[in-house]
Amino acid sequence: MISLQPLTNPKASALYSSSLIPPNPFFHSLKTLKPPTPYLKPFPRIQSILQYNRKPQLAGETPRVVVITSGKGGVGKTTTTANVGLSLARLGFSVVAIDADVGLRNLDLLLGLENRVNYTVVEVLNGDCRLDQALVRDKRWSNFELLCISKPRSKLPIGFGGKALTWLVEALKDREEGAPDFILIDCPAGIDAGFITAITPANEAVLVTTPDITSLRDADRVTGLLECDGIRDIKMIVNRVRTDMIRGEDMMSVLDVQEMLGLALLGVIPEDAEVIRSTNRGYPLVLNKPPTLAGLAFEQAAWRLVEQDSMQAVMVEEEPKKRGWFSFFGG
Amino acid sequence: MATLWTLQQLHYSPSFARKDSAKQLGCRIVATFYYSGNCWKRTSACKTHRKFVLRAYSHPPPVKSSGDGGGAEFDNDNKSVVPAVPDEAIMVNCNNNEYPQQKPKRPHEDMPQSLVFKLQATVASLPPVIFSMKRHFSASFTLGLCAAATLLLFVMRSYASRKSNHSRPGSVADLVRRGQLRSDRRGISTPLKYDDPFNNPMVKVGKSNSTVEMCGRVYKLAPVTLTKEQQAIHQKRRSRAYQWKRPQVFLKEGDSIPPDVDPDTVRWIPANHPFATTASDIDEDLAQNNVYQKHGVPFRIKAEHEALQKKLEALQNEQKLDKLVIDAGAAKDFERPFKSPLKAEDQIVDKGPLNGQMGSKQPNSDPVHKSHRSASEEMQNP
Repeated sequence: MISLQPLTNPKASALYSSSLIPPNPFFHSLKTLKPPTPYLKPFPRIQSILQYNRKPQLAGETPRVVVITSGKGGVGKTTTTANVGLSLARLGFSVVAIDADVGLRNLDLLLGLENRVNYTVVEVLNGDCRLDQALVRDKRWSNFELLCISKPRSKLPIGFGGKALTWLVEALKDREEGAPDFILIDCPAGIDAGFITAITPANEAVLVTTPDITSLRDADRVTGLLECDGIRDIKMIVNRVRTDMIRGEDMMSVLDVQEMLGLALLGVIPEDAEVIRSTNRGYPLVLNKPPTLAGLAFEQAAWRLVEQDSMQAVMVEEEPKKRGWFSFFGG
Repeated sequence: MATLWTLQQLHYSPSFARKDSAKQLGCRIVATFYYSGNCWKRTSACKTHRKFVLRAYSHPPPVKSSGDGGGAEFDNDNKSVVPAVPDEAIMVNCNNNEYPQQKPKRPHEDMPQSLVFKLQATVASLPPVIFSMKRHFSASFTLGLCAAATLLLFVMRSYASRKSNHSRPGSVADLVRRGQLRSDRRGISTPLKYDDPFNNPMVKVGKSNSTVEMCGRVYKLAPVTLTKEQQAIHQKRRSRAYQWKRPQVFLKEGDSIPPDVDPDTVRWIPANHPFATTASDIDEDLAQNNVYQKHGVPFRIKAEHEALQKKLEALQNEQKLDKLVIDAGAAKDFERPFKSPLKAEDQIVDKGPLNGQMGSKQPNSDPVHKSHRSASEEMQNP
């Protein structure tokens, strides 16, 4: 993954112009800001996929309703939702994250908002509260809001569960403060009623998978269901990637995963012990200081999501860092 | 504590003479206070001073002796502990300013002789002091050790108290230290935002654009080779593999399929499903309206409020009716003497349901009973 230098920097602009950045081959959008491409080189080419030095241009119609799903459990759907959601909020976009995991909701825990969830969608449907009362605004980033679909012990009336989420999206569009830019739906594992409910209002999907065959099979199945349901914009995030195991051929590489699933890559998240720490703390990775490797990868994935972009190059191997003459002395 | 020898030699020391004058002054002050204040409780303190003064002055030069009993006693009995002196004797000394120590200051003509005398006394006193130190080395060592330990204890205690003051009991840090509070506060903790999401120094691109350095690690980059054609092939494969229609109807297991519904679009929900249910106490339109509601009191809150209002009104009506019934009963009580005792008992039995105790036997003819029953029905079905 490559980060470009600032556009104002002459050095960076030189890099920008010579770094061979073709338009995204898979997802074209007029709103997506693409840098000019003076000339193109034949393959293989490595595209600069992230420009930290400018705000990403929001592509597509708002609100963008994105469902984050996987099929298999424990691959990092909720972690991805929390981190991508807060990254989007940090990038300046208003985000509503809906925890549609009816039975086993955890998004509130990851965000550290578990003590502030008083009302859920079930209460909204029953008329116990209004929608704006059920939205939990994050105090760290006020343009991030959480909406839980139900409390752990309550049952969702599934008869109009999917419709209820569609109503929610419509209601969020008509809010007085304006429609949110992103509505992220954290999908439950499996392809049960919860999955059907969660994918109902979505226009695009982010498939989270890990580089192992069990996860890949479920991911392929879920991708098929999403495509059958009419969701065509599906990108994947490969989570818990270990370059050392890939090098030792103990783990499938990201390119292998992509070859098996045939999906565009939104991000590659390396395995990071900091994920567990941040989960336990209720503090998403992307807010860590100093930033962690996984946090940076989530942030880049969010950046690409905004621009409806996808990765054109992946990290395959770790190189030993070149050390200077004085490295022996700690230099 | 002082040995006899030191008691003998103390008055020769010039430094001790200065101490004596200070003690004497203190004694004088105490004695004066004693007399002026007429405070008998201070007697013991004054006695202590006097004893000390006596020890200090108990061996003045014989020439300067004013003939008070204390000095004479000490001169006569050097080997014994200084006895307690009666208060009166000391008081006389205090009042008359006839302390023996004051007298050596007055004759200035005897200065060289006294100096020589003191020097000689000092020189004479030194060897025995060393000798005594050697002789009581173990005791002195123990004493010194105790003093050092006390000093160390004092220093440690002051350090500990200063440290505890520094940690501020009751502060967040103190609560975390005692385990009352978690160090990493959740939810409402202050945000840790790193400087600028658009200028991240943790990601650096290699010069050849084929490597990237993230968080101090250098990664090689490989280009993604997935083409649009490959993607389309995968989509076709999946569409063949997974024939799926989105469920449109959710039915409880055991229910019959409605005639106009495609069986492939039916999703069966078991009755004991952990989080999904097909039963709902609220209809679809009402739920939609609830979701779209932007202002005002939510539907159910409003309904509950109205129901409570009705209940309250019903209760108020009931109370009024109860009052009426009681009045009627009172009227009947008044009528009782005019009827037979058997009939009166029947009336009492009949009166029971009025108080809600035997509802099933209530005759329908009574209008009061009718109104009461209708009120209770309203309460159950608001």
